[in-house]
Parts: sequence; structure tokens; C-alpha cells
Amino acid sequence: MRDDKRILIVDDDHDFVEAISYFLERNGFTVLRAHDGAEGVRVAKMQRPDLILMDIMMKERTDGFFAIQEIRRDPVLKSVPIFVLSSFCTRLPDFEIPSSGGWLAHDMFFAKPVDTAQLLEKIRQRVGVTV
Amino acid sequence: MPLQLEHPTAADRTGAERGVSEPAAPELVVVIDDDHAMRLSCEKILSKMGLRAETFEDGARGLEAVATAKPAMVVADLKMPGISGMEVISRVHEIDPQITIVVITGYATIDTAVEAVRRGAYDFLPKPFSPDELRLIVNRGLERRRLAMEAQQHEIDRTMLKRRFVTFISHQLRTPLATIYQYLDVLRHLEGEDDAMRMRRREWLDHCLTRIQELQNLITDWLTLAQVEGGTLSRERVRVDLTSVISEILRAYEPTAAAKSITLNAELPDDCLCVWGDRNCLNVLFDNLITNAIKYNKPGGSVMVSGHVARGEAVIAVADSGVGIPEKYRPFLFEEFFRVKDDSVKKTAGTGLGLHICKKIVSEMGGTIDLTSEVGVGSTFCVRLPAWREPDVVNGEQNDAG
Repeated sequence: MRDDKRILIVDDDHDFVEAISYFLERNGFTVLRAHDGAEGVRVAKMQRPDLILMDIMMKERTDGFFAIQEIRRDPVLKSVPIFVLSSFCTRLPDFEIPSSGGWLAHDMFFAKPVDTAQLLEKIRQRVGVTV
Repeated sequence: MPLQLEHPTAADRTGAERGVSEPAAPELVVVIDDDHAMRLSCEKILSKMGLRAETFEDGARGLEAVATAKPAMVVADLKMPGISGMEVISRVHEIDPQITIVVITGYATIDTAVEAVRRGAYDFLPKPFSPDELRLIVNRGLERRRLAMEAQQHEIDRTMLKRRFVTFISHQLRTPLATIYQYLDVLRHLEGEDDAMRMRRREWLDHCLTRIQELQNLITDWLTLAQVEGGTLSRERVRVDLTSVISEILRAYEPTAAAKSITLNAELPDDCLCVWGDRNCLNVLFDNLITNAIKYNKPGGSVMVSGHVARGEAVIAVADSGVGIPEKYRPFLFEEFFRVKDDSVKKTAGTGLGLHICKKIVSEMGGTIDLTSEVGVGSTFCVRLPAWREPDVVNGEQNDAG
């Protein structure tokens, strides 16, 4: 059941990265890892993942926000699905409409800790993997 | 994720906030009286008291000065042409309710003086008065003001700390809980029973247990701190033999230290290393210091606890051969939740409360704790506590030394 879909996970919480990436790998995904916003942008530009999981508060309190903006400026990555995962709040403010191309255009928000089964389901839906 | 309690740098703080009394500028007293001779004598007396005095002949000018200079105290005659003394009281308190007001009044107007106090004046001074009477009343008024301001500052500090504390604590509790949740939720959804899977599961369960241990430590420390602050960690004053307290702790940590190839040494006198104190608190104090000395040590390192009595003080030094503490962190080391952020200790778990608790306990017992440290060589925490001494025996009667 290899589908070669590549997920980039950007998070400074090593335990979280460890748990989620192993889980995704066991479910047939290839996982790329980055531990802060800048590294996330770099890896995204180089590797062109199919979907990005992005934490918000990393090195800086808003590291993830700036990484998303940066990624959206890239012509190829402009439309890559980005899921925001954060323990910082339970939802993001309404002005961040996914399709608006706004400064924080993300596709989905998950409060940490995340519901593992739901995360997997949404990732599969978004990157077009059927089991 | 890296939510940190903001620790102000030393330069951010004023002397008062640090509890250090720096030579303060002399306090300003504004005197408002239409009597020229009275103004002169008041000014003379106040200056001799080491205060700054500014005098004004009517209420309008006096109030103007009060608004710009914010004096500590206003001394005002009740009976003046123009703005009355009574009005001066309310106008001064509109400017700053913390200003202490003393009114000067003639014998005939003692009723008005009482009225003035009702309206917020601190006290009144009937004419004629002696320099001593003025000095006494001014000193009392200024002292009362200082106490009121201190109480207010404490209240502000307490509220702010409480607010920060709750936010910080909930973050500290939530982070490990989220990690534990995530590992367990992922484990629940992982399928397969191969060796790799089994190994992974074991490893993750260990991570979870570590996090749970951290949570337990945090809650224990948090509780201890609350007890020390609230005075419910029994605070009796008995003779406590520190040699036995410390030896017991060292014995208890022998296996932990051995696991890290660290040797524990002690140079403690067989008797006389005694203090007046609370056994529980002293146990927490040395437990924290010795645990730290092991925790922040290098493999193959050592811990040395030495003690002696000198000049009425029990002096106990806990020295380690560990990573040392860079100078820039030292001013904040005893503050709650402060943790050194260097790579050398990043992986060492800690609540950031241990040394704060130590400091509280030592201060509570009238002692001091200080640190000498060299990066890469080690740190020594030195505790000084008032030593226990034989109660004085006078004429065969025993004096209560406690």
C-alpha cells in the first residue's frame, strides 16, 4: 500500500514529530521533518511535499505563521494543502479563510493533541489516497 | 510552544522592586500657609529633618506645585484667603490619594480640624506648636504613607505573579499531557505486531512514563512551594542536626548517583552542626540542593557536601563537579520557573521551582544562600543558617533561647 505521498511535518516538539511521523509512515506515507519555520520553508521548497503539517509556536511565538506566508509566496507551493496543528488555541480566527489566499491561508486546523484517526482520514482525503 | 515566564533583567528593576534600599532622594513636603513666619519656621524644621520643603502662601500656587511635583506630604493651614484649607484637602487627593495631608489650625477652630480629618487629612496640628510636635507628626505621616505604598506594591506584585503563574502552570501541565495523549492515541491506532512495532511501543511507553514523572515532580514542587509560602509546611522551631539530615539524604540518593557514576562525599562534623529550624523544610532544602548537584553533574563526577559552624552560623556547602552556571543566569537562578537555557542542560528535566523553594526556606529561617560557579568546572551552593546554641544558663535558671 505504498502511495508515495509525501507529508512535511514542521514542529519543534520532538515527541509529537516522532509519534505522528511513525504513524504516517506505517500508513504508507513518506514523512519529511523540520523543527522550525525557516527549516520548514527550506524543506518545502526543495522537496515539494504533497501536504504540510505546520505547528505555530516554535522558535518564535509566530514562527509557523511566517512560514506559511513564505510558502504561499512560492508559485509551486501556493496551493499545497497546509494543516495547522497547534496547542496554542482550539481554533483559528475566522478571517483566515482557506481559499482567500490570505496571509494565513491554511486548509484545516487541528488542536493539539490531535485525534490521530481523524488526522489520517483528512490527510488521505486531501491528497487523494483511498484505502 | 516555548512559552517562558519572562524574567526581567537586573537592569529592568528599580531598587525598591529588588527589595534593596538605595539612598533615596529626600521626600518633598509642600507647606501652604499665608503666615510668612510660619512658612519660614516650617521650612527650617523640615530641612533639618533631611526633607525637601517648598512653601507657598496660598492654595492656588500650592496646588499647582502639588500637581507638578507630587510631594509625599502637604502641610496646609486651614484658614487662608483664597482657596480654603478644606478645599486644598480634596484637591490634593484628587491629584494623588497617596499624599499625606496635615492641617494646621488655631485653637478656636478645633472643630474644623476634626472635619478636615474626616475629609481625608491624616492629622492636624493646633497652633502654636513646637518644632518637636511638627517633627513627630511629619515622621508619623511619612511612615504611614510608606507602609501604605509598600502594601499596595505587594498587592500589585502578588496579582501579577498569580496571573503569570496560572498561565504558566497550565502550559507546564498541558504540554506533557498533550505528549502522553498523542503517543497513546497513535499507539491505539497503530496496527501490526512486528518487532519494530514492539520496540517502538516500548520506547514510547517509556517516554510517556518520563513525562508522567515530570508532571508528578511539577505538582510536588508546586505544592511544596505553596506550603512554604502559606506557612503550612510545618514551621516549627526545634533543634535539628543537619549532619543526620544530610547523611540520610545522601544515603537515599546513593543508587541514583551510582547509576551516573557520580560519587557522593561528605565532610560533616559528628555533632554541633545544629540549627533551630523545621526538619521538614530543611529536608526539602538539602534534598533539592543534592538532587541538583547529581542531576547537573557529569558522568564520573562528584558531589561534596561539607559543613561547619562559624561565628554563630551553620555553613553548609553543596559542591558539584558539573556543568556550572554561566554568570548571566545567576541573578535569576532563584526565581520561580527560571531555567538555564543552555544546550548543556536542555535535556535535563526540571520544574524551575527547586531553587526558588530553597531560597524561600532559607530566608524563612533567617539565613542566606549563595552560589559560586565556574562553567565546565562546577557549582557550589552555600547555605548559612543561624546555628543552634546551648540555651544560656543564668543563675541556675534556664533562659528560653527560642
